[in-house]
Amino acid sequence: MVIDDSSAMRLILGRIMRGLGFDVVEAPNGAEAIARLESGSMPEIALVDWNMPVMDGLAFVNAVRKEEKWRQITLMMVTTESEQSQIVRALAAGAHEYVIKPFTPDAIADKLALLGVLAY
Amino acid sequence: MTYIPSADDLEVITREVWTSFLDGDPGGLLPGGDGVGAERVTGCVHLSGAYTGSIVLQCSAPAARDAAAALFSMQPGDVTSTEIIDAIGELANMVGGNVKSMLPGPSTLSLPAVVHGQLAVPGAQVVREVTLVWRNEPLVVSLWQQAAQAA
Repeated sequence: MVIDDSSAMRLILGRIMRGLGFDVVEAPNGAEAIARLESGSMPEIALVDWNMPVMDGLAFVNAVRKEEKWRQITLMMVTTESEQSQIVRALAAGAHEYVIKPFTPDAIADKLALLGVLAY
Repeated sequence: MTYIPSADDLEVITREVWTSFLDGDPGGLLPGGDGVGAERVTGCVHLSGAYTGSIVLQCSAPAARDAAAALFSMQPGDVTSTEIIDAIGELANMVGGNVKSMLPGPSTLSLPAVVHGQLAVPGAQVVREVTLVWRNEPLVVSLWQQAAQAA
């Protein structure tokens, strides 16, 4: 699942993920992503932007981590928020990894491999 | 003493964003140029907190169209205003987020605002600016600071 308010970024990340063999669903903010999860979508991994309207990425991570039924979802922040304190907040909230924009496709693939959701 | 990113820092950050998402070529963005004319697209993100101000990205309308076309993998002639606003907003967001990481923190980054034309930043002044050329079209990135904080 790619969650980003920029449709360009959803396109780019979606293309990378499809290239790595994933089926991709998209959401433009955390609230719509939660709605997709509530309707039965169960992604292996969610790539989550931080700054989004309606529900931001940190709130999404908190909401997902509160629910036992979504515990298996791997959460990776993909965001321009690069202050150390922000990274710590996201990881403390339950994000597994953190990628700072701009990124390369290899950087995404490397992080997914580190998380064990992509086999090299 | 507070470090304020230099014009060179703005250029390096912008080049990294452009190379990652638009060109794949660090040489695609060149220093220099005469600045942006009246027919421009402006993207802006605001910072509030330890540093209060804005990062503003301005480019000519053709550059904005080409950037959107590159990001969306479209032909420039097929790009609409919707794609331009999305693309310039995301580019401003990426440049702004990386500039923010060099400024005193903590600060909060706003969602991007994009307008066709010039964007006013009331009560703020430019503290750093870099003028660049991309595909023979002008691009200006500037860092603004609230006047009260700059004093």
